[in-house]
Amino acid sequence: MSHTQLTHRIGVLTVCVAVLLPAIAFAAESLFKLKDPHGDDKGPGSYTYPTHAVYTRGSFDITSFEVVDKGSDVEFKVAVAAKIEDPWNSKDWDGNGFSLQFIQIYIDTDHKAGSGHTGTLPGIHAKFASESAWEKVVLLSPQGKTKLQSEVSAKAGGLKKSVIIPRSTRAATHTITGVVSKKVLGEPKKGWGYQVVMQSNEGYPAPGDLLTRKVNSERGEHRFGGGNDGDCDPHILDILAPPGSGGGDEKSAQYKALSYSCGARMAELPMVYP
Amino acid sequence: MVVLWKRGQPAPGTRPLWDRRRQTLLVALLLCSGGSARAETSNFDFSGRIYTKYLYGNDDSQGALWYGNPFWPDDIAGRNGVATEFEMTIKARVSDAVQAGVRMASRYGELWQDWWESGNYKYGQQVNTSGDSLGLNHASYMKLRGAWVRWNPELPLVDLVHVGASDMGTWNAWTIGRIRYIDRDNGKGFFIDGHFDEERSWTWNLGAVALPKLWVGPGWSSGVGDPVLKNPFWSRDWAYAGKLTWAAPGARVVAIGTMTQDLEADPADPDALGSLYPNCKDAGGARVPGCYSDHAVDFYSRFWSTNATLEGNFDPLEHINLNLLVGFAKQRIDPRFASNGVAINQGVSPVVFDDVSDGAAKLRLDIEDAVADGLKLKLEYFNIGQHWNAIFGQRREGDVLLTDGLVEGGQLPTLNLANEFIDFDEDWYESCIGWHGGTAVTEYAQGPLDVSAEYTFLSYNTNAQRRDVDKIYPDFLHSDGFTDTDLYSYANPKNIDRGRDPRSVYRRNQNRRTHIGVVKGRYTIDVGRGLDLSLKGKFIRDEDFRSDTTYDDDYRGDMATLRAKASMPVSDGVRVAVGGQVDRWGEKNRAGTLETGYGNGTTKKEKIFAQLSYDFKGVRLKYHLEYIHKDLLRPRDGDETWKVWRSKATLEVAW
Repeated sequence: MSHTQLTHRIGVLTVCVAVLLPAIAFAAESLFKLKDPHGDDKGPGSYTYPTHAVYTRGSFDITSFEVVDKGSDVEFKVAVAAKIEDPWNSKDWDGNGFSLQFIQIYIDTDHKAGSGHTGTLPGIHAKFASESAWEKVVLLSPQGKTKLQSEVSAKAGGLKKSVIIPRSTRAATHTITGVVSKKVLGEPKKGWGYQVVMQSNEGYPAPGDLLTRKVNSERGEHRFGGGNDGDCDPHILDILAPPGSGGGDEKSAQYKALSYSCGARMAELPMVYP
Repeated sequence: MVVLWKRGQPAPGTRPLWDRRRQTLLVALLLCSGGSARAETSNFDFSGRIYTKYLYGNDDSQGALWYGNPFWPDDIAGRNGVATEFEMTIKARVSDAVQAGVRMASRYGELWQDWWESGNYKYGQQVNTSGDSLGLNHASYMKLRGAWVRWNPELPLVDLVHVGASDMGTWNAWTIGRIRYIDRDNGKGFFIDGHFDEERSWTWNLGAVALPKLWVGPGWSSGVGDPVLKNPFWSRDWAYAGKLTWAAPGARVVAIGTMTQDLEADPADPDALGSLYPNCKDAGGARVPGCYSDHAVDFYSRFWSTNATLEGNFDPLEHINLNLLVGFAKQRIDPRFASNGVAINQGVSPVVFDDVSDGAAKLRLDIEDAVADGLKLKLEYFNIGQHWNAIFGQRREGDVLLTDGLVEGGQLPTLNLANEFIDFDEDWYESCIGWHGGTAVTEYAQGPLDVSAEYTFLSYNTNAQRRDVDKIYPDFLHSDGFTDTDLYSYANPKNIDRGRDPRSVYRRNQNRRTHIGVVKGRYTIDVGRGLDLSLKGKFIRDEDFRSDTTYDDDYRGDMATLRAKASMPVSDGVRVAVGGQVDRWGEKNRAGTLETGYGNGTTKKEKIFAQLSYDFKGVRLKYHLEYIHKDLLRPRDGDETWKVWRSKATLEVAW
């Protein structure tokens, strides 16, 4: 085969693959898309990023959250402001193509006071109001399923049945997507509430923490700053604030929700009911 | 007494770093002391890690490291053995503005069978039963790997001062690269971070890094071991770096400039150690003009280089990301102070032995969900000059190009790659110096399905005729044939013929072009805990018309690889996987010379493997077992067969 023929054939094959791929698309319907303001990745307003260069500005700044019905599956898509990088080569540790972010999506399926969990997973240090208690939480982590399952069993055993590890988790330029089977999640219904908690992946966390990176009073090379040296501050960089339209007022709503007083008041997360 | 456990400073999460908050020991120590805790010790992280590796194969080499150092024969490398490493990290907050840390690790290399080895050599360095015969490499002694102090000086525009160990992650692969993981605390320097505005849209970084005497420079050194130097002087060799970043929503621009400077004493200076003219008189006793002693030594630059990049990352539209990088590299070598490694070391050299400069450019466009939901199109153009080199750039564990490349690990713009001190299951990296071409990748992700297709065309800025590979351009001795990273040997003896050295970018005669096609797919079947199926097919056509004086040396290689893998969690924390790979390579004129002629080669290789990973409450076990059968058919040079069993297991705990 000549050089020209080969080039031509490979080119044609590539184009065919590109054209055919969308043709095998699964049925998809966006159930809703919420927005979150830029620049509010400061927790209660004071948090700062670690000093190491891998924590690029905007890496933990949620810009949108979308839930897509894919037939037998549901896709959860969380977009961030910065380009998603994989500085720690996640494929070396059976990871999912990104390194820094760890996202927890809390879902309130019944909006009933007294039903569900009001506490967050270990390492977050926040709570939900009784009427917004959650029944399920979806984890979008760079860690592979094996590690994630092991950590959940060891550190959140009591909540294990409410924790959903996606069938597949992947990262694109700005978006992290988790694919969850409806057999596990159930059929998403109108009236469900959602909260997206942005944390950072810590593969070797403190003994009680579920793969979360700590927030201290002073930032360190791999520690967020602007919080408290104890664990009375919410270890959360960004959340959704109602109504989820991305308005500037949602920044202040977030800062207020994540405010805390050590020994007196824990941060209380709102649910967003799209 | 109440001991408050306050702040942790654990290291980045996904790597086995060893800084776990531990208060138990501290509390115990304080209780034992029976007394007053000093306030400073309340912020104290003490963490550890034990890492054990089992490496076994069906040959008779001993050691627990698949590839050691090929130049200085490393006595810890070998394919049969079990070894353990212990690490300890201590971090503390000295005050609300000052933090400090150290990491210590035991030397890796003492096999479990090496009882009593104390680190001494006795009896003429003969291996014997004394327990004093193998040396420190086998004694598991603890070494200080790095120490740092970092503080906020509370000055206007200055955020941080960092003194000591750093992994150099502030810069990039094209300039000063992030240090490979196992060396992450070996690099040390002075660093200052700051900003220009309150919003920190503009930030800056400055650094001065002590040049490693062992690998940044001609001959992989900054003078040590160079036969032309009587008094190698490395303690004043530094690299300098500056970085300016502008960031706004949807845009980020980073400018980096770096310089390396390797200084040596002027041998004509009468005050220099080993001076040619200590008394300012030549061999005939005549006075050397201009020579006088002033008790100060003059210095000259043995090697100097500068690398600079300007990189922009933009999101012009919601579904589009644009990344542009342009760079410039320049180097100067003074042959009075640097031996010609190309000439005296069989073309094995991390630098072109000449004063050269060149540029590099890369443009990448990512389009997501624009045509169809879940469909991505990635396009990349790259043009890296034949004289580009990042002597202090990233040596491995990075990838600057989109393409899968000729080897799978990654492409880096340096001749200074590090493919040693690795095991058989680790990635390989190749130099992309001189690469000019483009890559198109389509990716489609829907539900549990991920598929992608790549096409890359490569031409080479290094294409040239009658290039001087005797004295100027390093060809790394082995520049022909597909590289077999499964069964690599640094020596590349004829009975192995593992192909091209991944650093070999220059040839005497080259007129080369390459096509790469890759198709990958992964699907998760909803059975049990989810069965992941993955498939990868790769085809490469590599052509090199070599000398323009004859057709008889024209090379054409076709390489096809197909790999399949199935993996599934079988319980919480336990995953098993099985898979296989088939390679078929056909190469016309694979190896030889114009004078001796060329021989063809056909490679038939099959590999099967099984994997297990186990995570349980802090203990992590991984096991990999594989069998490779390879036939290398060479009508001219004789056939060879490999039947290789090999396995690797790691057990790790960190606290």
